[in-house]
Amino acid sequence: MEFFENALHFLTSAIDNFPKFFPGIIATLQLSVLSIILGTVFGLIVNLLKMTKIKPLCMLADLYVAVVRGTPLLLQLFFMFYGLPQMGIYIDRFSSAVAGLAFHNGAYISEIFRGSIQAIPRGQHEAAKAIGMTKLQAFKNVIFPQAFKHAVPALGNQFLLAIKDSSLASVITITETMMLARQLAAATFSIFPVYFDAAVIYMVLTYALNVLLRKLEKRLKVNER
Amino acid sequence: MTILETKNLHKKFNKAEVLKGIDFSINQGEVVSIIGSSGSGKSTFLRCLNFLDKKDKGDIIFKNNIVENKAASIIELRKHVGMVFQSFNLFFNMTVLKNVMSGLVIVNKEEKSLAEKKAMELLDKVGLTEKAHVYPETMSGGQLQRVAIARALAMSPDVVLFDEPTSALDPELVAEVLAVMKNLAKEGCTMIVVTHEMAFAREVSDRVIFLHEGIITEEGTPDEIFNHPKNERLRSFLSSMSF
Ligand SMILES: Nc1ncnc2c1ncn2[C@@H]1O[C@H](COP(=O)(O)OP(=O)(O)OP(=O)(O)O)[C@@H](O)[C@H]1O
Ligand SMILES: [Mg+2]
Repeated sequence: MEFFENALHFLTSAIDNFPKFFPGIIATLQLSVLSIILGTVFGLIVNLLKMTKIKPLCMLADLYVAVVRGTPLLLQLFFMFYGLPQMGIYIDRFSSAVAGLAFHNGAYISEIFRGSIQAIPRGQHEAAKAIGMTKLQAFKNVIFPQAFKHAVPALGNQFLLAIKDSSLASVITITETMMLARQLAAATFSIFPVYFDAAVIYMVLTYALNVLLRKLEKRLKVNER
Repeated sequence: MTILETKNLHKKFNKAEVLKGIDFSINQGEVVSIIGSSGSGKSTFLRCLNFLDKKDKGDIIFKNNIVENKAASIIELRKHVGMVFQSFNLFFNMTVLKNVMSGLVIVNKEEKSLAEKKAMELLDKVGLTEKAHVYPETMSGGQLQRVAIARALAMSPDVVLFDEPTSALDPELVAEVLAVMKNLAKEGCTMIVVTHEMAFAREVSDRVIFLHEGIITEEGTPDEIFNHPKNERLRSFLSSMSF
């Protein structure tokens, strides 16, 4: 009997607290979507830089990827939040969180693209060249569309990580889902129901993204037998 | 008129010298076949002609102009020199029609509707109009190669390079590709064909070149090459080809 009472209490508390999360959900969505889009752009730029085969540009791209992969995300966010202002670069809190997360995602996404670009058979490059395409035309019309398709599963995985990683923005005072959970837990003392809500929110978001990705994969498969 | 020439063309891979001074030329409307054993440098020669492989020494001359070794000149050359590969290399991300249109739209920036019209005519020519909206994945090798030929022709090239266009095909699919090529030859298309199809070389070529260890070892009409070979290497090569 006591178990049921506890369970009921847990559920009502979880449900009561849930609406308080709405601003957090919106912030989490904003952080995730922006950092995914920007990160994808960064990932693309890294590969374009490498394509130029100009030494300093390639080294810059390599350095960026090495730094991001070699340091913790938390540290990268601290750098954006505390480090940049000390260097005289002032951006608002939210922008610095987006920048930090995008910077992070971009490096991993660039590696995903690099792998899938390398997997494109040499004959595709050669046919594009032979018909008179420039490197950039070949990349845009032949290589990248194929590479992107191969990259979708791995990209999807990175996007899921991006949603979850956005929770780290709470440590640089962004009021997203995780920050709200901590605040609510402290204020209401119903710790477990509140964190349960947060877990449900992340689950739903990642699940929805997963469904979207599956759809995208299916649509991209039209040209396969 | 001379379309394409090479003078003293040399090519090394690492230390191995694959082309050892090739002097070659082809006139408008001519069909030249290149034969020779595996590893003799046939593909390398063809790929040097459009700079897919970079020559080490010598000149490549297009319509009496030396092609400079810089991106813009190379791209300009490639617009006028079509290439058909052994492994077709159709763009997987495009339908058959888009493949054929690709040069016109992407390289020549032609208007879509015009490019499409021209591409459909070419698909008709290679007998594949009904496949226009199909992706390459689902097609046979013979069909793919015919599309690849249409794609090369779309640019209205001055010369088309064929690198063993039927070697990757199942035997029963070879004929349909050769038929298309014979037609082209008849229409006066300038062609350089690396091939192991001796019957084709004999029937269609104006001139046959025997390449051996990176040197043009013998050159002549099909009759001279196949019926009166002078060089010992050529004779043993021909006897090894059962045809
Ligand atoms: N990219 C490369 N790197 C190193 N060596 C190469 C390369 N391409 C070709 N070679 C070498 O150059 C030589 C000539 O090769 P090539 O492909 O031109 O011969 P081929 O006459 O076309 O032979 P096949 O009839 O087998 O196609 C071979 O020994 C080959 O191993
Ligand atoms: Mg070859």
